[in-house]
Amino acid sequence: MNDNILEIQNLNVQFKTFEGKFSAVRDVSLTLKRNESIGIIGESGCGKSTLAFSIMRYLASNAEMDGVLNFNGKDLMENTESEMDKIRGNRIAMVFQNPSTSLNPSLTIGFQLDEVGIMHQKLSKKDARKASIAALELMNIGDPKGTAKRYPHQISGGIQQRICIAMAILCKPDVMILDEPTTALDVTTEAVILDSIKDLKDKLDMSLIYISHDMGVINKVSEQIVVMYNGEVVEQGPKTKIFENPSHPYTRALINCMPRGGVVKENTKLNTIKGYVRRRGIIESGCPYVDRCDARNDTCEAKYGMRMIEESHTAACDRAYAEDIEDTIIKKRKPRVRIEQPKELHTVLELEDLHKVYGSRRKIYAVNGVDVAVNGGTVIGIVGESGCGKSTTGHMVAGLHKPTKGKMIFNDTDITSGWRKRSPETLKDIQLIFQNPGRSLNPSHTVEQIIGRPMQRLLHINSKEERRKKIISMLHKVDLGGEYLAKKPNQLSGGEQQRVAIARALSISPKLIVCDEPTSALDVSVQASVLNLLNDLQHDSEVTYFFISHDLNVVNYISDTIMVMYAGKICEYGKRDEVMSKPFHPYTEALLSAMPEVDPTKQKDPIRLEGGLPDPAKKPKGCPFAGRCHKQVGKICEEQYPPMVKFSDTHYYNCHIANPEM
Amino acid sequence: MNRTLTIIVKRLGSLLVTLAVMSFIIFMLVEIMPGDVAQMILGQSATDEAVAALREARGLNDPVFQRYFRWVGGVLTGDLGDSIYMQGVSINSILWRRVGHSMILALTAFIIFVPLSMFFGVLAGVKENKTTDSIISFFGLATMALPEFVSGVFLITIFGVQLKWLPIVSVIPIGESLFTNLEILIMPALSVTFVMFGYISRMQRSSMIQVMHSDYVRAAVLKGMPRKYVILRHAMKNALLPTITIIGMNMGWLFGGLVVVETLFGFPGMGSLLMTAIKTRDVPLIEACVLLITVIFSLSTMFTDVLYSYLNPRVRLQGGQK
Repeated sequence: MNDNILEIQNLNVQFKTFEGKFSAVRDVSLTLKRNESIGIIGESGCGKSTLAFSIMRYLASNAEMDGVLNFNGKDLMENTESEMDKIRGNRIAMVFQNPSTSLNPSLTIGFQLDEVGIMHQKLSKKDARKASIAALELMNIGDPKGTAKRYPHQISGGIQQRICIAMAILCKPDVMILDEPTTALDVTTEAVILDSIKDLKDKLDMSLIYISHDMGVINKVSEQIVVMYNGEVVEQGPKTKIFENPSHPYTRALINCMPRGGVVKENTKLNTIKGYVRRRGIIESGCPYVDRCDARNDTCEAKYGMRMIEESHTAACDRAYAEDIEDTIIKKRKPRVRIEQPKELHTVLELEDLHKVYGSRRKIYAVNGVDVAVNGGTVIGIVGESGCGKSTTGHMVAGLHKPTKGKMIFNDTDITSGWRKRSPETLKDIQLIFQNPGRSLNPSHTVEQIIGRPMQRLLHINSKEERRKKIISMLHKVDLGGEYLAKKPNQLSGGEQQRVAIARALSISPKLIVCDEPTSALDVSVQASVLNLLNDLQHDSEVTYFFISHDLNVVNYISDTIMVMYAGKICEYGKRDEVMSKPFHPYTEALLSAMPEVDPTKQKDPIRLEGGLPDPAKKPKGCPFAGRCHKQVGKICEEQYPPMVKFSDTHYYNCHIANPEM
Repeated sequence: MNRTLTIIVKRLGSLLVTLAVMSFIIFMLVEIMPGDVAQMILGQSATDEAVAALREARGLNDPVFQRYFRWVGGVLTGDLGDSIYMQGVSINSILWRRVGHSMILALTAFIIFVPLSMFFGVLAGVKENKTTDSIISFFGLATMALPEFVSGVFLITIFGVQLKWLPIVSVIPIGESLFTNLEILIMPALSVTFVMFGYISRMQRSSMIQVMHSDYVRAAVLKGMPRKYVILRHAMKNALLPTITIIGMNMGWLFGGLVVVETLFGFPGMGSLLMTAIKTRDVPLIEACVLLITVIFSLSTMFTDVLYSYLNPRVRLQGGQK
């Protein structure tokens, strides 16, 4: 029997647009063996998803495709639409990035699961429901019968994605395609879902195609790795070989631009990739990466083509063996000289017993008592799962929300009231950078207006020429140029938009910037450049960052101190190295353990958190983490809020386990 | 508490407030209309004394608020007052028969245009940018651009004058009722349909397109569900919901629109009654008609909201995610 379940040969996908045809997938050949998992990695716009949808033969009407898609010995390209219906969801199933929009809001979970069995296996309604419940049980969903009767909006994101996976495995498919299935989820949920995907693969003898932009996630689930750039496969091979010996400059750059364990701002400047993924017309040929490549020389364009690096490992670069290319994984890194003067520490921001309750009748307890002092000129990183109150805290500091209880002191001024009551001086001193620059910049304003407005309002620079001069110097600071002045946000790429947002925040030299997930909507290479930029600017101007992120790697990279939040309270607080190397609170420990690791040799003992955050509508009693804690000591956890345990002057946590060494 | 019930109670509360405010505005608007009621009743040749006496007798010299509350008090007890033009005939005795006729006309139009425009809207949405879509969209735009009095004249010319299939005017012969003359409904209903069709089918088309491009429709297709099934089971319910709101909102507007259609065809409904009342400055009649249109408008909006909340599980079943 043929061991190859899916063979893709010379697949091309082109889209016809008003500006001409451009190619989204070019000459891709892949082989997927039975029970093998392939991870496809690349930035957004590299054709990963288009490749997945072409396997399903589901493309927009302006798409043209050719090539061979041999599935179980039959070419899918020759199938009619109704023949494809018999394969989709039955033999090849797909799971998408966003579970909340992939489930039909007006149909029950049970209905959406049952129809798969009814349609593909011709089951009766009763048998289909039985099969659905079995699949839900396989995904460890508590109360599967009750869940089946619910509508998608009544279920949390993590469970929704498990339901989508349950739907995909209902017919025990040969191939399951997962398109960034955990990108929209928290790390803890991600870890649990990745575990169960791995588990199911062997249990049901499936082959997986796993698409992600995250090397760590790919490392966890796949055996083979395919690196895609601009529609082409630039490198492919077994996971260990790719990680040990990444050969294509793009692969190396991609691995190196991710902040991860051990990489901190003091010793490393993150690697970046200049430029961005450019749409390619179909006539263009040659190396797709050439305009962004640091390792290119005069001959590489002529010698472009796939090369064997070692057995079963190929890369599309003539320079792949070159010795003069630096920055291979971790071995050679540009150490970054950073002279650390002992900073005179002074408190710039103090939060005292900060509370925020939303709603009047149906209360949501978002923040339940946060006490923290932030030193000037440092970066405090706030981490936690979504819904832990980190953004609400940041928004209160920025003045967007008024705290329900508690006090905020900024440079000896009380700023507890919202922004309307703040003095112009305070308004100038506290700025905010949002997660999604595309949505936080006014689409009808030019870059000049966006950056110039706060200068005019708060610094009272009324002369247009003077403002323009300052704006241009701001743009240079964020690595943009004067040519951006007249552009509008939709003419900029995501990274450029975030740079403009940063320039806007910095333009009036604030003392504190609340950064609310500033890099999580960006590609890894862009994230690296934004982090570098934030880091440099902070170092030069002594501004303080209140840096909110769900990504521990990012927080580890940029912060001086770290505050871990859970259910609106602080779990653990300490200097970065204290928290990262000796996490005492069980929640911090779990978060660290859930973090996907890029280095395949490192194995961590996994701590998996089941369930979700406690219901924010109930006033917490006892330790909020008690329900999910793997180190629960007894009844006391559920009944009493844990005391603060001081481990050192700078490191404390809230837990009933007084001596963590035990 | 049941969510739908909560919505009904809340909406009833705001309905009362709306009506109170509207009644005041209507009264004030009519108040500032030029012309003196007593003069109107008595005619141009009446002596000043006679006019003054009538003003005094009808309480027209009382302060505005007193007269307003007297009117509202009357309305609340079911007394809409007497018509001026028709010399003391009580409004109750004319209005309700006319309202009944208008209701039947609106209902007829409703039965024609709702399924028709929804069906073609869905069809256009499913066949986005294909020939079918272009034809439907063109036809929709064309009918939307034609005002009722233009399309009405067209209909009269074709079916009344040329083909002689239908009566040119929609009057009910004396001594007969609407039910024995149902054919007079057809042309007014069609011209209302013309106006509503373009608007609603366009709305239906865009909501269908939005749903067809949604992630869950893509997910359903990639689950191997056949296209017809996806459209009927996955797309339709979500695509029809927004249209229901739009139809509900337009029901009140439709009643306002009946003024033109009924006048054009001479149909004995509330619209043509209102038209006559305005022409003859029949103040109490104008007030009664406009107030009634307000009530119908508010009720249909409320009914739509309740229906929407009942059909949409996200509103009906609260809880779960924020």
